[in-house]
Parts: sequence; C-alpha cells; structure tokens
Amino acid sequence: MALDEMFSNQSEELRACYNDLMKRCEVHLDKMHQKLPPPKDRWNEILNSHGVSRRDFLKWCSIMTAALALPPVFTPKVAKAAGMANRLPVVWLNLAECTGCTEALLRTAYPGIDDLILDTLSLEYHETLMAASGYQAEECLSEALEKFAGQFVCVIEGAIPMGLNGKYLTIGAKGKTGYEIAKEVASKAAMVICIGSCSSYGNIQAARPNPTKARGVAEALKISTVNIAGCPPNATNFVGTLLHYLLFGALPALDRLGRPLWAYGKRIHDFCERRPHYDAGEFVEEWGDEYAKRGFCLYKVGCKGPYTYANCSQVRFNQGVSWPVMAGHGCIGCTEPDFWDKMAPLEKPMADHAPLPLAGVEATADEIGLGLTMVTLAGIGAHALGSVFRGVGKEKGGEE
Amino acid sequence: MISSMKKRRQGRAKPLVARKQWSVAMCINHWAMAVCIVILIISGLYIGRPLTIGAGETWQKFSMAKVRFIHLIFGFILTALFIWRIYLAFFSRFHADWKDFFAWLDLKSVYHQVKFYMLITTQMPEHTGLYGTLQSAAYGFLLLMVFLVVITGLILYAALYRAGLGGAIYMFSRHLEGVFGGLAGARLIHHILTWGFVLFICVHTYLAFWYDIVSKRGTISSIISGRVFEHSDI
Ligand code: SF4
Repeated sequence: MALDEMFSNQSEELRACYNDLMKRCEVHLDKMHQKLPPPKDRWNEILNSHGVSRRDFLKWCSIMTAALALPPVFTPKVAKAAGMANRLPVVWLNLAECTGCTEALLRTAYPGIDDLILDTLSLEYHETLMAASGYQAEECLSEALEKFAGQFVCVIEGAIPMGLNGKYLTIGAKGKTGYEIAKEVASKAAMVICIGSCSSYGNIQAARPNPTKARGVAEALKISTVNIAGCPPNATNFVGTLLHYLLFGALPALDRLGRPLWAYGKRIHDFCERRPHYDAGEFVEEWGDEYAKRGFCLYKVGCKGPYTYANCSQVRFNQGVSWPVMAGHGCIGCTEPDFWDKMAPLEKPMADHAPLPLAGVEATADEIGLGLTMVTLAGIGAHALGSVFRGVGKEKGGEE
Repeated sequence: MISSMKKRRQGRAKPLVARKQWSVAMCINHWAMAVCIVILIISGLYIGRPLTIGAGETWQKFSMAKVRFIHLIFGFILTALFIWRIYLAFFSRFHADWKDFFAWLDLKSVYHQVKFYMLITTQMPEHTGLYGTLQSAAYGFLLLMVFLVVITGLILYAALYRAGLGGAIYMFSRHLEGVFGGLAGARLIHHILTWGFVLFICVHTYLAFWYDIVSKRGTISSIISGRVFEHSDI
C-alpha cells in the first residue's frame, strides 16, 4: 500500500511527517548499503538454512515495525534493514559481568528471527565467542578498531569497576583495565549500546556497599549510551534498537535513563496477564498456596511490576514462551537502576520496605509508622496528665 | 507570672467579644483537606496491603480497582485543595497568611513556646501572627508534606494513565521520577508520608483541644465558625 493511500484520511501534517520519515529512511538505507562491508553470508541463505520461510520473516518484520511505532508501510524497509544487520560491524566487550546476557541472547533452542540476527551479527570481537585468545585476540580488536573506526557499533556487557584505579578488572595479556579498554573502544565507535543492567547502571556489582566502585558505562566514561536494561535484557529490545539505527541512522527516542522508549515506555504491570487479578483484589498470599495455583496477582509476595519500566509482559522470553511473572515469581525490577538496593526485599511488597538505607535497620515503613504513632499517643496521654497536674490554664479557668 | 495573672484578672471586667480569625474559604479548605486526608490514609494503607478476596469469579470483583479509584479521586481533590490553600496564603482577601508560616524564625519565642508545651512554664506565650511559633513550623511542614505526597502521587498516576492529564505530564513526570529514585522510590516516599499524616493528625487534634482548654478562646469552634473569643480592650 502506498503511503499516500494509507494516510488518505489522516491529516496533511501527519502524512507530510511520515513522508519525510520515509524519505530519510530510504536515503539512509541506501547510504548504509554502500558503506557497510559485504556480508559474510547472505541473509536469505541464513533464513533458509534455519528453516525460516520468507513469510515468517515478513511477519516478524511487521511485528517489529509495530513495536517501533512505525506505520505498516515501513515493513519492507524494516525487512531491508534486518537483512543488512549482519553487515554492521560490532565490537562486543565483556567487562565485569556474568556473561548471562550473552548466554540469554545467543543460546536458544529454537532461534527466532531476533536470535538469528544476533547470531549472525558481524561480530569483530567477542571474547566469549571468538576463537582467538591472548595477544591474538588483542590484535583482532585493534584491527577492528582501525578498520571500522567511526563505523562500528560498540556493545558493552558488564559494569566498569572504578576502585583501585580500575584494577579490580583487568583483561588480556597486557593487563589493561576494563575502564581503559571501554574508553578506547567507545571513543572510536559510531554508538555505544549497553546491554544488560550491569553496563547500563552497574547492577549487582554496584549494589551496596559496592566495594569495587562499579559504575554503569555512561556514568564511568561520562558519555551517553543506549541502555538495553534488564538482567538479562530481551533480544527484541536490542535488535529493535539496531534496526532503528539501520533505518534512520539515529537512535530511537530514549527515556531519562537512556532506555529506548518504545521498549521501556510502559511498566510491566500495565500489560501483565495477572493484572485482572490485581484489580479484582485477588492476590497470592504465600508461595504455593491455593491462590498461587489459581494464578492470582503476585503483588503481595513482592512483585515490583508496578515500579518497573519494561516490556517483558508483552514480548516475553525464550521465543515468547514465558517470563518471570508467568512462571510464578514476581518481577524483581531488574531494568531499573540500583534495583538490588531499591527493590529489596524482593519478595515483600513495598509496604514492607525499610525506609532507611542504614545497615541493620530492618524495621519496615509500617512498623516504624505504627511505632511512632504509639509513642505519640503515649506522649499525648502523658502530656494531658501533666497538664492537669500542672494546672495549665487554671488561673483563667478559675475566673470564669 | 504574678503580673500576668494580675493583668488577666483586670481583663475580667472587659467584655468578651468574637473576633474573626478564619475566612469561610479557610474553614472550608481546612475541613475538606481533613476529610480528604483521612480517606486517603485509609485507602492508601489498603492499597499498600490489600485484602485478598478468594471467593467468586474474577470478573465479578473489582475491589482493588475501586479502592484505587477512590484514592485517585480524593488525591485529585487534595491537589486542588492544596493549590487553593497556597492561593489563599498569598491572595486571600481576608488575610493572606504566608508570612505567618515563618513565626518560627523568632528563636526566642520558640524557646518560650517549647517551655510552655513542656509544661515548664504555665504562662501562655502570646503570638502576634496567626500561628504560634511551633504551630507555624508544623503547618509549614504539613503543607510541604502535602506538596510531596501530591507530587509523588502524580508521578505514580502518570505512570499508568496516559490520556488527559497523565499523558500531559508523562514526560515531565518520567524526569521527575529520578529525583525520588524511580517509581519505587516515589512509591516508598508516598508510603512514608502517609505515616507523617497519621502523626500530624494525632498531635494536631490533641493540641487543638488542649489549646482550646488552656487558652479559653474557643480554638476548636473557631475553625467552624471562623471566630475566636477575646476580652476586648474597648
Ligand atoms: S503480578 Fe505484578 S505486574 Fe502482574 S499485575 Fe500483579 S503486581 Fe502487576
């Protein structure tokens, strides 16, 4: 369907806006097509060899188009961009992390199309996946940095420890610190994507008391990054951001914390399948109780879905099979900064949270509130008695 | 003390007159806020720790949503009342009392007031402004609490409701969230403030009655009728 036809009953303004966007997209895709290095394998062949039909691929493309909040006319462009994704040079750094993100994104039993894109990314450097090691690996990196300077996408997984001058994390034969490596690579990259909550905000490494002074990449290097938060994040969110970059040569709209709004604009709670139970006042009281079996809402066993911006409830994990709340445990808020400190205790509702970030203060807001109220009432009683005893206001009272 | 007692004895001869202290707007604002805050405390504590209703089909029930609805409605009324109160503080035609909120800056009278409250002295400190020194600090603090609870409430509201007001303040509130440490932080502060209001109500109610008894000016009835009683010099 042509663009004009589709927006025939829309306002002129909207049509002009999308026309502009379409033109920009076409120009940019052509530019990328010429600029990017040739693919190692052709995308259609990759799809074929994995048994993905063209129809399935296009279906996926229309889903991604909708996810990126673009009108359906953009679907062919998204398909083109997706086909180009394996030509985009990527340098993937593993800093202070558990490799869980890599595992989650690359290890799939039955790869979906986002996983295929991730599998076939033109990874110039990825410590977990590359064959080279030691000096050889470092050569690969410096080669890639030179060859694709200003062109490659730097993906960082893991936080950067800043304590001891960064010495809590040294990598490779030359013993460079994580900070040095990240700084060098990021300075030459076209853009920096932080994958996972560690590189985005520090995550568990940065949780109190944070002995290594771990920081998120943006904070440590004082640069702006796209943060695909989550522990681990969803492949769809990463691939969507890449597609957006390929389509328009620009980053998608980001929120205050550098997360793409199209993926992190709404809360878990807003699209949770247990939400009707929440509104109905049906809550799991205890793990494994009757209500848990009936699939009630997990709010009272500490679900942090209402405070967490992410699209897990919409896209789910492992080819859309399931996600934490569906599996029966509340959301722990892993896409939010400092969630280990802020969302803890993870299995208690917010009313049971300690208001003071002091070590050893375990009392909850409600306990402290109730305690203070009791003390106040006792104080009032004592004061009233005292007043009678002291005869405050008596001298006037006697007169009237 | 003796001299003050004398003064008061002399005052006996003087006639008792009613003097207007609160405008009608102020009285309405006070009671509307009081009702709102009580409803909000109860519904708010319920939302923090809702009851599970096991019986019946899910589609027949809507308890949590209804309590939240009440909470939101009264939350918005409180927001409006707060704005009205601030307006009155600056532009009331009867008495714009914003200056009276700073009586606590006079540290000497604070000292005297504390002594009076602690029952160390039985001599009631006179205040020139509308509020006593500690009273002014407490009321100022209350307005600050209302402000914070309204702001955190609006942040939590905008996180869900994207049409109308929620949509209009969405981007702003997403930025403001950061000040409170994300939605979780805003939610915790919102919850802690609830207890602040509970404490305020306890102390405020007690002291209002206490003052009524001690000062014999009809403090309690003044917030309904708007008038206090005084021995006139004329
Ligand atoms: S399980 Fe969590 S996210 Fe889902 S409705 Fe309940 S509180 Fe919200």
